[in-house]
Amino acid sequence: MTDMQNEENPGVPSRRKLLQMGAIGAASIITVKPALAQTAGSVMNCEIPVPDPARSGQYVAADGSLVAPGTPGSFRGAGRAFRGEEVKRALSGGNLPGTSTDQSRAYVNYIRRLQSGQSGFTCYASLQMPR
Amino acid sequence: MRHQFSVKVGPVGFRVGSAWRAPVAALRHLYAQYPQPDGGITDFTVRLEPETMLRRWVRQSVAIEGDFMLPGAVPMALRHGLLAAEMGMNLQMAMGQRHFLLLHASSVERGGKVLIITGESGSGKSTLSALLGERGWRFMGDEFALIDPLTGLAHPFPRPISLKNEAIMVMADRVGAGRMGPLLADTPKGDIRHLIPSADALANMMVPGVPALILFPRFGHAAEVRTMGTSEVFVRLTQASTNYVALGERGFGALTRLVTQVPVRAIDYPDTESAIALVDQLWAELA
Amino acid sequence: MVEPIYTADPASGFHSVRLDSLTAIYHRRSGVTHVVAEPVPEIIVSLAGKQLNVAQLCGDLIADPALVEGDETRRALQARLDELEEVGLVSLA
Repeated sequence: MTDMQNEENPGVPSRRKLLQMGAIGAASIITVKPALAQTAGSVMNCEIPVPDPARSGQYVAADGSLVAPGTPGSFRGAGRAFRGEEVKRALSGGNLPGTSTDQSRAYVNYIRRLQSGQSGFTCYASLQMPR
Repeated sequence: MRHQFSVKVGPVGFRVGSAWRAPVAALRHLYAQYPQPDGGITDFTVRLEPETMLRRWVRQSVAIEGDFMLPGAVPMALRHGLLAAEMGMNLQMAMGQRHFLLLHASSVERGGKVLIITGESGSGKSTLSALLGERGWRFMGDEFALIDPLTGLAHPFPRPISLKNEAIMVMADRVGAGRMGPLLADTPKGDIRHLIPSADALANMMVPGVPALILFPRFGHAAEVRTMGTSEVFVRLTQASTNYVALGERGFGALTRLVTQVPVRAIDYPDTESAIALVDQLWAELA
Repeated sequence: MVEPIYTADPASGFHSVRLDSLTAIYHRRSGVTHVVAEPVPEIIVSLAGKQLNVAQLCGDLIADPALVEGDETRRALQARLDELEEVGLVSLA
């Protein structure tokens, strides 16, 4: 028997009984996901355009969806692509450069909704931190 | 490809092919003191290709390709070809390395024992490892630390150190011009110059060491040392590794052994002199 | 209503290392690593190579006989089992 052993008595399966209800009240499980995030800057010069050039005429709503130009509460597209490092900082609470707080939030929500096939998706995927 | 360059860095052999002469000439110069791959066998290939046929000659831009590629990578200007080659080599390692567990970390060796400095870009790990390499430590690498799952030893990957912006001045004053590569101005990462590792570092590029201390540095704060929980270190290092998952149980064994056997500290530092002082203090205490 | 029966791979299906208060578990069949807190390792040991329903698992895991019978205990354990089933560490038999 080699695994899941009681650490104090190797060879004996762990049969400690839990003493309190609290012990089963909450559990944390962190599942390790594949990561490229920390090295992304070293391996790829990547950018995320907001929005995708194919939809450059559309505006970005607060929730990140693309809407008709002039829709109330929405923002004109950034007109530039943001670098991986800039987006990473914005994902942890900073603002995207050259944007107001609300505008940055809208752009970040757009980025969070990117799907495979859209411009910038791989770049965004490489910036991901685990759940 | 028209122009070819081969080199061995630590245990890894690379071939770089280029549509243009200039990046290969620059690589030959920067890596002049490095050996060739054993028996000519290369582990990874990088290709510097024109982004489009026109871009081979006009507003030349370099697409980084090779055994492994990432879609969505933005091409680079030809004058930054040396950086493109470096990123290409990093990419091949990050995606293709299957023997060693890779950690995004710098490492230096002293007395057969290895200090591993890990952290995000901007934490200062490259500059710290470069400085320590000039202060009696043997430089082992600034980008990747290689951990052998069978032995637990850390192996060197002493590529030229990529110094950015202010760090260029910090090091250029200390080493001769002969050890600095050309200035690559205004790259997507700012100004970059490469520092060629010392003769001692290159002569010992196949000599591993025993990991003895892991540091998580944070630049730009008052000096402080903190302990870290083992599980936190473990999870953070899985995210600092590009091939932990691909290595399967060997990766699990290598990383759990590393975090349960090697002391770890988080350090904050306001400047490089403070960092070096903290390193000396913690090394004496823990390594 | 059919009572759910749970099982887990035998002990040889896991490689676990105690880190601090948490345990790192490599699940061999999936190749996935999880870092888990109590009572996850205990649940997996109880279910390893066995098939138990929630009541039986309570009896196995919990020292206090008064708690073993409780509804709250059963519900809490069910919630843990749902989480474990979602990540593949235990499965419905």
